[in-house]
Amino acid sequence: MTPPPLYRLDGIRKRYGDRLALDVPALSLREGALYLLTGENGSGKSTMLQILAFLLPPSAGVLAYRGNPVEWREAALLPLRRQVSLLHQSPHLFDRSVADNVGYALKVRGTEEGAAHRRVVESLEAVGLSGFGARRARRLSGGERQRVALARALALSPRALLLDEPFSGVDKPSAAVIRDVIATLPARGTTVVLATHDPAPLRGQADDTLRLYEGALAGTGGADDG
Amino acid sequence: MGFLAESLRASAALIAGLDPDLRSAVWVSLYVSFWSTILASAAGVPLGLWIGLSHFPLKRPAITALNSLTAVPTVLIGLLVYGFISRQGPLGGFGLLFTPGAIIVGDAILATPIVANFTLAAARGADPAIVPTALTLGATRAQSTLTLVSEIRFGVVAAVISGFGRVVSEVGVAMMLGGNIRGFTRTMTTAIALETSKGEFALGIALGLVLLAVAFAVNVLLHLLQQK
Repeated sequence: MTPPPLYRLDGIRKRYGDRLALDVPALSLREGALYLLTGENGSGKSTMLQILAFLLPPSAGVLAYRGNPVEWREAALLPLRRQVSLLHQSPHLFDRSVADNVGYALKVRGTEEGAAHRRVVESLEAVGLSGFGARRARRLSGGERQRVALARALALSPRALLLDEPFSGVDKPSAAVIRDVIATLPARGTTVVLATHDPAPLRGQADDTLRLYEGALAGTGGADDG
Repeated sequence: MGFLAESLRASAALIAGLDPDLRSAVWVSLYVSFWSTILASAAGVPLGLWIGLSHFPLKRPAITALNSLTAVPTVLIGLLVYGFISRQGPLGGFGLLFTPGAIIVGDAILATPIVANFTLAAARGADPAIVPTALTLGATRAQSTLTLVSEIRFGVVAAVISGFGRVVSEVGVAMMLGGNIRGFTRTMTTAIALETSKGEFALGIALGLVLLAVAFAVNVLLHLLQQK
């Protein structure tokens, strides 16, 4: 029997007042795949990521996660939110050490301290920031902050990693590290949805490209589309 | 001028010799200020956070009311509390009037709006990304609120220090509810008022200098926190 897709969107619409910000008639996202979500500014990419992260309820339609329709009430959403990670374009880092930031999500889940520490160390190593644990997160450069945010997401081993313009305003070495880390995730079973207006850095690795135009899903295509 | 210089010399001698009246007034002041600040913080910090972070129909009038309460004269608070804790008042049975406890209650009422207002300002000035980020990372609503409090901790501490600064320097509540009883409810400010009215400037100046030092220390602390 074929396992259900990680996400299934049926008639998903999101309105802000009179404006239709997102309109996706039907779409499936499978586990362990890398999707590029492309479109101009204001095309609905961030809205779609927020919905996939279970942070923003759609105005209409059904979102199914692993075959089960999502119930948009707080108690039902928390366990779902804990399976996915959303990385914002300008991620907010808490005013504490890098290690505390990376370990935050583990702490709120009640992960045992020793195990959490190991995950923090591994995640920082994965993004090339070994030895940064004791530094104040607020004092890092833009690229380093983005890598810390990625490490924070990686520490959770999420089923889905949703990224909103992760290369925007990031220096080249940091962008290369982020790109390389992202490219390894689908092989580990993580579904990656990466919103970008410039799909070039990951075009070769993407399983599919989802194109949004003025909120509407204008098409999907192969890895080399975009 | 000679009189003032002589008073200043005498006050320096009182401070250096740790005069018992001076020590007692300083101790009572710090004692009542400490406990009233604790009470005001216990009420004012959650109140400021609640108003700052929640959405309700009368939020704007509530903020205006809170702002207005910071300007209530100390003697009015003294009068109201006096009405409640005097022998004929509804809380007269507790025997609080003219005790340090009475000053603590009055000062706590005085400082609560100040602590709440500063906390409210800190909460409203917090980065709006804090709570969504915490939720994105799997925090519960309660955990995300605690994270926000942790992020604005310097603002909250500044609110508490401001409350302390207000009560340590007030005179109306201490005079009306404490009764200025020597060695028992006499604070620095009530002692200064009394000594000045008696023409005993030396002790008044000595206490004024200590009060100034306390106020200065509080402000330095506030300044350091604001730079964080």
